[in-house]
Amino acid sequence: MPNKSGNVYGLTILSPIIDDEKATPSHDLQIRSYLAKLSTREDSPFALAPGTHLARLVVMDDVIYVGMPACEEHLKSKYLVFESNCDGDLDNYLSGLAASVPEHLDAIWKHCVGYPGAGNRQAFIDYMKACQIETTFFFAAVNDKSLPETLRALQTQTAVADFIATHQGMEPSALQREFTRFVTHLKSLPIPRPGSMGPHRYIKTGGRNE
Amino acid sequence: MSNINGKVYAMNAITPMKPWKTWILRVFFFLLGHIKPMQKDLVDLSFIEFARWVVLPRNGFPFLGKGQSQEDLKYDYLLFFSNFNGTWNQYIDAFSAVLSKGLNLVWRWSEKFPGSVPVTLFKEYIARVQFDTDYYYTAYPHATANDVKSAHIVQSSLDCLSQAAEHYNPQQFADAYLRFVLQVQAHLGETGEAPVAG
Repeated sequence: MPNKSGNVYGLTILSPIIDDEKATPSHDLQIRSYLAKLSTREDSPFALAPGTHLARLVVMDDVIYVGMPACEEHLKSKYLVFESNCDGDLDNYLSGLAASVPEHLDAIWKHCVGYPGAGNRQAFIDYMKACQIETTFFFAAVNDKSLPETLRALQTQTAVADFIATHQGMEPSALQREFTRFVTHLKSLPIPRPGSMGPHRYIKTGGRNE
Repeated sequence: MSNINGKVYAMNAITPMKPWKTWILRVFFFLLGHIKPMQKDLVDLSFIEFARWVVLPRNGFPFLGKGQSQEDLKYDYLLFFSNFNGTWNQYIDAFSAVLSKGLNLVWRWSEKFPGSVPVTLFKEYIARVQFDTDYYYTAYPHATANDVKSAHIVQSSLDCLSQAAEHYNPQQFADAYLRFVLQVQAHLGETGEAPVAG
């Protein structure tokens, strides 16, 4: 199934944006304005809902004309592209989004044609699936680990590096005792919140040709 | 616009294809998906976290009625979404150098594709067909694809050692611990803020 690589699901959704000449600002611009203010850290809607490794939202204004001798053509609608790399089953993932962050979903997708709202869970899932495009080829560098497993592993990696650095040359019985204590402590730690381990940097424009 | 979050760059690209060529591309992707050795170069480009190609038929754009006009297009479109570590230039350079044959097999069916070598024309083409990301989220912005792979190796090695440790006497533990350190030492690179590209 091309939408999946191992246990990771590659979700691609194109939702047509409402084209209303009377709307000021236009619906696509309202989506962009909302997204520009949306957090990308631990209070991101994708961090609050379970299962998202990476996700993006893009307003696709039109197809691109590559020049002669190709034909020039244009879309009749603008589309909101939602690309997500998430854990497991699609229904569970969409359901988790609708349950965790309905207000964000509604604020974004209310500008799209036929959006039923996240309040009606089944209608929301049906709508998203109606806008889904099947992925033709999906590649995931790590495809057998869930998001919590990856966050836990990254936490472990840092802790192990610190442990090794601070316990060099220790006598065997003391080392064994310290190691047991370390592992017990590590297991008792909560899994880091998604999006929480990033740098606090507010410059994120990232010119395309950097 | 935010194509970058932490150490990941989000690239979006769309290219037009004549519909009859789409089927050749679908066959190529089918083979790529089912013959794992064909993915070797893609796997070796270890700075890609997730990537996908989506063939969007000219009549395959979602149509929901309710006032939406149905698209009337001549071309099918190839959408490409990538999540990679490093800069745009490094990515395209590496793609061109390592995957040139594969890239040509993917994009040669797109209109006006100049080939992935020489890289200058290839970059010009990608820049033309790329469109920017409005919102980009990653659950682990401080980590690269290699960091994630390494972290799982460390986790699994630690789990093995901690399970066995309770049955060892101190000297046996010290020996096992040394083997553990040797096993994970190449995977302990510190994660953190990405260098500023300039």
